[in-house]
Amino acid sequence: MKFELSEEQSLIRDTVREFAESEIGPSAAQRDEEERFDRALMFDSLAELGLTGIVFPEEYGGAGADYLSYAIAVEELSRVCASTGVTLSAHLSLCANPIYLFGSESQKQQYLTALAAGEKMGAFGLTEPSAGSDAGSTKTTAVKNGDGWLLNGSKIFITNGGEAETYVVLARTDKDAKKHHGISAFIIDKGTEGFTFGKKEQKLGIRSSPTMEIIFENCLIPAENLLGEEGEGFKVAMKTLDGGRIGIASQAVGIAQGALEQAINYAKERKQFDKPIAAFQGISFQLADMATQIEASRLMVYNAAYRASAGLSYSQASAMAKLMASETAMKVTTQAVQILGGYGYSREYPVERMMRDAKITEIYEGTSEIQRLVIGAALTR
Amino acid sequence: MKILVCIKQVPDMESKFKVDAAGTWYDNADLAWRMNEYDEYAVEQAVQLKEQAGEGDITVLSIGPDKVKEAMKKALAMGCDRGVHVSDDAVSSKEPYQIASIIAAFAGDKGFDVIFTGLQSQDRGSGQVGVLVGELLGLPSVTTVVDFNMEGDSVTAKRELEGGIRAVVKVATPALFTCQLGLNTPRYPTLPNIMKAKKKELLTIPVADLLDVDPRQQTAALFFPEKKGGGLVLEGEVGDLADQLVQILKEKTTVLS
Amino acid sequence: MKALLVAEYRDGQLLGSYQELIGFARQLGADCSMFLVGSGSALPAFEGTLYLADAAQVGDYNPDVHKQLLLSVIEQEQPDYIVFLHSSYGWDLAPRVACSLKASQISEVVEIKDGTMVVPVCNAKLRRQVTPNTQVTVLTLQAGAFGLAEPPTGSPEVKEVSTDAVGPITFTGYEAAEAGGVDLSKSEVIVSAGRGVGKPENVSIIEDLASALGGDYGASRPVVDSEWVEHNRQVGTTGQTVAPKLYVACGISGAIQHLAGMKKSEFIVAVNTDKDAPIGEVADVLVVADLKQFIPALTEKIKGG
Repeated sequence: MKFELSEEQSLIRDTVREFAESEIGPSAAQRDEEERFDRALMFDSLAELGLTGIVFPEEYGGAGADYLSYAIAVEELSRVCASTGVTLSAHLSLCANPIYLFGSESQKQQYLTALAAGEKMGAFGLTEPSAGSDAGSTKTTAVKNGDGWLLNGSKIFITNGGEAETYVVLARTDKDAKKHHGISAFIIDKGTEGFTFGKKEQKLGIRSSPTMEIIFENCLIPAENLLGEEGEGFKVAMKTLDGGRIGIASQAVGIAQGALEQAINYAKERKQFDKPIAAFQGISFQLADMATQIEASRLMVYNAAYRASAGLSYSQASAMAKLMASETAMKVTTQAVQILGGYGYSREYPVERMMRDAKITEIYEGTSEIQRLVIGAALTR
Repeated sequence: MKILVCIKQVPDMESKFKVDAAGTWYDNADLAWRMNEYDEYAVEQAVQLKEQAGEGDITVLSIGPDKVKEAMKKALAMGCDRGVHVSDDAVSSKEPYQIASIIAAFAGDKGFDVIFTGLQSQDRGSGQVGVLVGELLGLPSVTTVVDFNMEGDSVTAKRELEGGIRAVVKVATPALFTCQLGLNTPRYPTLPNIMKAKKKELLTIPVADLLDVDPRQQTAALFFPEKKGGGLVLEGEVGDLADQLVQILKEKTTVLS
Repeated sequence: MKALLVAEYRDGQLLGSYQELIGFARQLGADCSMFLVGSGSALPAFEGTLYLADAAQVGDYNPDVHKQLLLSVIEQEQPDYIVFLHSSYGWDLAPRVACSLKASQISEVVEIKDGTMVVPVCNAKLRRQVTPNTQVTVLTLQAGAFGLAEPPTGSPEVKEVSTDAVGPITFTGYEAAEAGGVDLSKSEVIVSAGRGVGKPENVSIIEDLASALGGDYGASRPVVDSEWVEHNRQVGTTGQTVAPKLYVACGISGAIQHLAGMKKSEFIVAVNTDKDAPIGEVADVLVVADLKQFIPALTEKIKGG
């Protein structure tokens, strides 16, 4: 077992860090304030760097790197801007990846290549008003209609919604089949007739990432846009979320790392009673705990990413990593705000944004409760 | 067209430095390393030159322990074609003339048309190596370049002088150029190019094969500058204070000269 | 001990930095002569031999020719030290001369310590004491490190030198500095206004000082928030991070977010009515005064030379 990044992985870390700090970071606070997604900055420039297809083979326009490199990239982006981190994670893990895993060769040529190159942006439609973590109770329907499928229903809380050109969407294709069996996955292009966007969510955190409702009203899509086998949608969703958890866990580690660095810098500069507050054990012990928890989370994420690249099972590893990292992010960012005191609570400093951003990592792509359910079920199977 | 770029790996200047056990250099442990900032401009200029010419072969050279290959990988990912790693675990004790001799010994018979180096390194900062390489190879060298334009075998370069003034110079290749910050905008290596750099040739040459000169200087000691002991406090009548401050600024800064 | 000082001339002007060469030679206790590619109509104030080549003939910048001239002077003078400024002229020419002489070159000397040269390492975070192994040593001096309290006096004994040599590099002219936006990170002098300026009309006091010092003006956050100064001049965590040669903080108390943006400045002057203001912790000089009176007085002194 080797706990060292390869030369390529370290170079990817250095490159994405430098890119994130110089390009993404400076506008993060303002974009958060204005709830503004900047596509040129938060997606197109990632595409130029080759991040939008990082894990896919070169033949599909990817960089041919491993999941660990991907985890590192999402972490480094999220360290300065969690919204940019999730833009990449949703695009790659939730849209491009299921097409890579389940798509036909022609679907890969048509969709994956454009997604990997960043010519198109991807999103994933699973959650519905009455079906959140419970994918089995999907209400959106897809009915065979001549040579295609007719979709009706709506999906909410769609990250990259409205901005993305390509959507992987889950819909019920067999009303009579048992809960998990009657669901199928589809690839849907923005601009398809009957496919519209609802309201843009106003959120606590990741405010620079667009979250929208997507609506299907008699939306007719070609038969070849079925992704994977008919009735296999639940499996597509579960596999997709396994990968997605690596992205979100990486996002959480990045947010936590960003907050820790802010707290350390502040603790070294801020003087009270004539010494830097870092000199007080009350602060330094907290910093030590924060750093330790982040490192544990990071290693768990790396483990899950390693297993994904090595072709080993990683559902359990990614669920554990996501649970650990997201709860760590929430804890660490809250502590960072506390260490910065009044400044931490002020928008002058980025830690309050990080704290708001951290909360979502405990919720989306499976709440902490769902992760525990998944992990517990596997343990007691 | 054959292009050589010489780069150095240096610690991140934000690092916490410690003096090493011998007391003559900084302790290499626990530092974050990166490509010397000036050299990033040199690499970028080499890659741009090749792109503009539509042909060319860029060799990136670095001297040091195995670790310097990290910086070389970055240069390869930015667009250099091949790497030459002069392997030397004791590079930090080599002085500028020795470094220049090593580079000149390598480049001597290779027929490079254009050589780029950084203006200086961020750590040692002697600013000598580039010019010395030019002198040892008998090539003209232009330092502090902030603008570079090559047509045929003629280069028009702008040198940055003090106060933002530039001097325009012309020189025919083969020639050497030392690059100043702001010469261009160094690109980020793209992920696909990082992965492809893995397959590019990276030749290692032991330093003993290239170095046969003795040092012309040595470091007697490395130390931290004395800390600013709490600033000077001036109080009194406004006119006197202004006189005192002007005198201090003349002595301690260069802004009034 | 003999030192040959290499003065600089540019675009019809003798550069005042030659005084620093003299300051250094005095500290070293060396006898000196001087070399200049310049003009007989702009001679340095210097008591000693000046080897003068005519810039009109050989050009302001022609490193190979300047090297040849200098080598012939060195041949006659046999100095122990050849001393340049660490400038675009000095760092360009010095290694060429050192290489020809097979001499050691020590770059950017900031101090003489126990008879040996001290140079900065790692952005001046560290200092290094360097000893040459060669008889002759070439030095470049950090700008401003060896100033003279009084300007030098005297007139040199001029010996004209010339050469027919031509070099491979052709100098074709100067270009003036470009007028740019407000990028304070490139400013050598920044004068910043803090809450202590009191009202927007007083910002002009700060601007005047900045322009007298040939620098730019900036501001702390409260001043920007009050819209007395535009946002692109804000120094601090939410503005620009700067490290000029001189930073003058006027009426700035020194909130941590401001300090983070300017504490790496080489020399910091704070002007504040509060002797205990935290800005004092990073300031090299704290002037306890009301900026509205002090700054205009200072500006006048600086303008008056």
